Amino acid sequence: MNILESLKHIFGGGKTEGGEAPLSAATAFERFREVLRCNNSALELIADLGEKLSGDYIFDRQYIYNTMEGLEKAVLQSVHALNALCNNKYQILYSTYDRLTTRLDTVMENREDRDGVPVINIADTSRSHYIILGGKNAHLSQMLHELRLKIPEGFILTTRAYHDLIDHNGLREALNAFETAMEAPECTVEALEPLRHSLEQGILNAQPPDGLLSAIADQLKAIKGIFGEDLRLAIRSSAQEEDMNFSFAGQFRTILNVSPAPTAVFKAYLQVVASLFSPKALRYRLRVFPGEGHMSIAVGCYRMVESSASGVIYTVDPADPAGDAMIIVSTWGQGEAIVEGRVPVDTFRVQKKPPYTLLTQSIARKNTGLYPKQEGELGELDIPSELQDQPSLTPSQLERLAAYAMQIEIYYKRPQDIEWAIDHNGDIYILQARHLVIPATAGPKGSLADALKKYELIVSDSGSVAQQGIGAGHVHIVNTISDLNEFPEGAVLVSKRDSSNFIRVMHKTAAIVTEIGTPVSHMATLCREFQVPCLVNVTDILSKVSDGMEITVDAEDRRIYKGRVAELLAFKTATDLNISATKEFRLLKRLLDNVSSLKLVDPLMDEFTPEACETYHDLLRFIHEKAVAQMVEMGKDERRLLKDYRAVPLDLPIPTGILLIDLGGGIDPKAAGDRITFASVTSEPLKAILEGMLFPGVWHTRAADVSFGDLITSIVNVPTDALAGQYSGHNIAIISKGYLNLSLRFGYHFNIIDAYCSDMTRDNHIYFRFLGGATDITKRSRRARMIAIILEAFGFNVASKGDIVTGRSGNMPKSEIIRTLNILGRIVGFTRQLDVQMDSDAQVDRYVEAFLMGDYEIIGRH
Amino acid sequence: MSDQTIKLLVIDDEPIVGKRLKQAFMKMGMEVETFTDPREAMNTIKQKSFDIVVTDLKMEGMDGMTILEEVQKLNPKAKVIIITGYAQVDTASEAFRKGVFDFIPKPFRLEELKNVILRAMSGALSESNKNI
Repeated sequence: MNILESLKHIFGGGKTEGGEAPLSAATAFERFREVLRCNNSALELIADLGEKLSGDYIFDRQYIYNTMEGLEKAVLQSVHALNALCNNKYQILYSTYDRLTTRLDTVMENREDRDGVPVINIADTSRSHYIILGGKNAHLSQMLHELRLKIPEGFILTTRAYHDLIDHNGLREALNAFETAMEAPECTVEALEPLRHSLEQGILNAQPPDGLLSAIADQLKAIKGIFGEDLRLAIRSSAQEEDMNFSFAGQFRTILNVSPAPTAVFKAYLQVVASLFSPKALRYRLRVFPGEGHMSIAVGCYRMVESSASGVIYTVDPADPAGDAMIIVSTWGQGEAIVEGRVPVDTFRVQKKPPYTLLTQSIARKNTGLYPKQEGELGELDIPSELQDQPSLTPSQLERLAAYAMQIEIYYKRPQDIEWAIDHNGDIYILQARHLVIPATAGPKGSLADALKKYELIVSDSGSVAQQGIGAGHVHIVNTISDLNEFPEGAVLVSKRDSSNFIRVMHKTAAIVTEIGTPVSHMATLCREFQVPCLVNVTDILSKVSDGMEITVDAEDRRIYKGRVAELLAFKTATDLNISATKEFRLLKRLLDNVSSLKLVDPLMDEFTPEACETYHDLLRFIHEKAVAQMVEMGKDERRLLKDYRAVPLDLPIPTGILLIDLGGGIDPKAAGDRITFASVTSEPLKAILEGMLFPGVWHTRAADVSFGDLITSIVNVPTDALAGQYSGHNIAIISKGYLNLSLRFGYHFNIIDAYCSDMTRDNHIYFRFLGGATDITKRSRRARMIAIILEAFGFNVASKGDIVTGRSGNMPKSEIIRTLNILGRIVGFTRQLDVQMDSDAQVDRYVEAFLMGDYEIIGRH
Repeated sequence: MSDQTIKLLVIDDEPIVGKRLKQAFMKMGMEVETFTDPREAMNTIKQKSFDIVVTDLKMEGMDGMTILEEVQKLNPKAKVIIITGYAQVDTASEAFRKGVFDFIPKPFRLEELKNVILRAMSGALSESNKNI
């Protein structure tokens, strides 16, 4: 279906933006609610899909197809609804929608590995490339970009290059036949033999697709530019699922010590690709992915680190998964021999937490080591006698390796098998990290259930699971966003309510527990993305734990234990909690990657644009924000509002001069007369703001000490918005039962508050804007800064520039919206004339402190 | 103590089902065996008694209804729970007529199956108490 065509139909076409009269407030509000309704039905479906991914359900393929079909329709409805509200201003979203939908169709057809670039430098990779990098390279990209660890420089021949190779060499037909044969339930390696063999040979003798050699040459040139002509390369396999959930350890080929010439790299590349069809690899595939034919392979070409020592880390001891030790194995020279058991190694057991105490060590006599040979590959060399009995790692190297290993384990939330190397400068490189597969060692019957009885339960059967899993660590309570700054590695984040800002620390969080929140919040989605075990809505958790207390969160049975429950952690290690083995699960996961992750987190950032939308969720978020923005502006057109509606003065004990325009349900119908009292206000958000303003002490009436200078400034200074003629002297509140758009003008500053609250948490929002003042820009900016700090303390996303402060909050339950609006009412009252007193930076802190302590009377004491 | 350990057998041709259920129910202290091949499962049932059998309905080789009948012949005390992606009213009622303990359509929440199993267990325990 051609979307643009059908649209012209729907909206009658012809009329251009700005050409139509603006909507009346009532119509705008109706259409705003329609946007919310459409967004909701789409988000419900995303949440439903996401919940399936949380690990709590058994589902099938038909479910995925049906739900995706419904979702595509629902998102399109949302785009329609926003355009209906905004006079077709967002036509561009139809092409955004098309772009995202086409992408999803590619995923459904399992063809996404054919898109994108054939060659890319690891330094240029990001999330969106993961699918074409193969598992191993994707992990290296994460370690480089997200964990900021050192990995060898290099580039990747993506799965796109693999498909180009197949097509260019006429192997597609054979590959299709092969993949179909592999899908047969009774498929065996023997039955595949003729096809397998012809593909293997076809690849070994393949010609490079156009442009591939020159792309490789460009990459080599760049690396040689840094490391000189002598560098050597390691050409490593990175199949689609490799390292992600299945180790594939040793299934595919790795070619070491390759010379940095395009033809040599291409030759090694073919050998690695051909190993996808080796009998050994096929046997493994048939075992771990029975019934699945399709798998493509990417290849990483990395600089070989000239290692003085190298080795492997297991972040848990497979013999004692519940223990608190990791195993570090090390030898002189290259580490490849370790996994093959070819050389003697040193073994260290190191504690998993700082200061990473060395528990035991066993130092072997290392008479030989592996080193690159002149002609390629590796060869054994004798180790100088004085080094043979020396530990191959120093205490400080052990400590650094252990710290990196824990960083990686905490990031992936599962035990890791890490290959590393140390070069002659002492720099540590991570060569590979994959999940450590530990066989389920079924202990004595019922042992876990019994063992758990001896631990003190802090929480039992409370809250909802946002992401399944088990995590243990020390509690770090997050009250304000700034508490995230000192978030310790591996801690458990405990907070009053959830926030998508937690994404900043998710890579080092063991688990998240919140007192308020829902499994369908943005944060919950992020938790699923980062696999952070998460419980939300856990009653009174803040009164049950304290900072630094060690706890174990079981976000499966909804329990929180005091201390570190070793048995549960061992259970987590040994069982494959990540149930990603089935086709359905992986398809759902990839679809959700393209549907539910959220890149547009902060609406106040510049990148909040249709072009930046990468998922449906981004698009829906964009739609919601633009719908809110449309409503925010509504109060500005005061003349029209006063013409269209009967505005009724609000009668309060304080002089606010507010006129009410009720769109329905905002005023008690029984209220009579020309003035409405506080008691007759039934608009919940307005009531909350007014309660804040009327809070004892907030509305200080003492005349501000306006100095002569301030007085002059106030006369000269006319804020730009006022010049645009948008504001005049009235304070107008457009209200309904659950909605408020309040434009306030007190003295020389303007304040807009737009809020919606309903029982649907994700519909709820608060928008706050404050600008201007009577004093000079320095004082006004200080007041703006003060407001910004207070807003942040209450969980707002804040952007400020000079004397303008914009704050956004939302996606929280009604009760929280009401509480926050009450605070905003206090801010409005408290800061009304405060700019006058902002004669030094110290005053900012002083008044922030006073406000947060509830000492509103401070102004009177000045 | 160990006599009271509930023995659970799971049959589903999708490995994910058995894997997931094994994890969840072992954690609850049960003894769990899982099979993706119903014929292999039947061989085990012939040699060993289970308290609860959870089986998929449509499988290659042998369907869940046959499993139900066989289990009832071999071990009438065992409770059989059928899980299926092909939920059909007539299949369900046929299963109930044949004495299935419960019938759960996929997709389902792990919690739902847990509750059914807990119900089956408490039934089994109270029956054995009566015998005492």
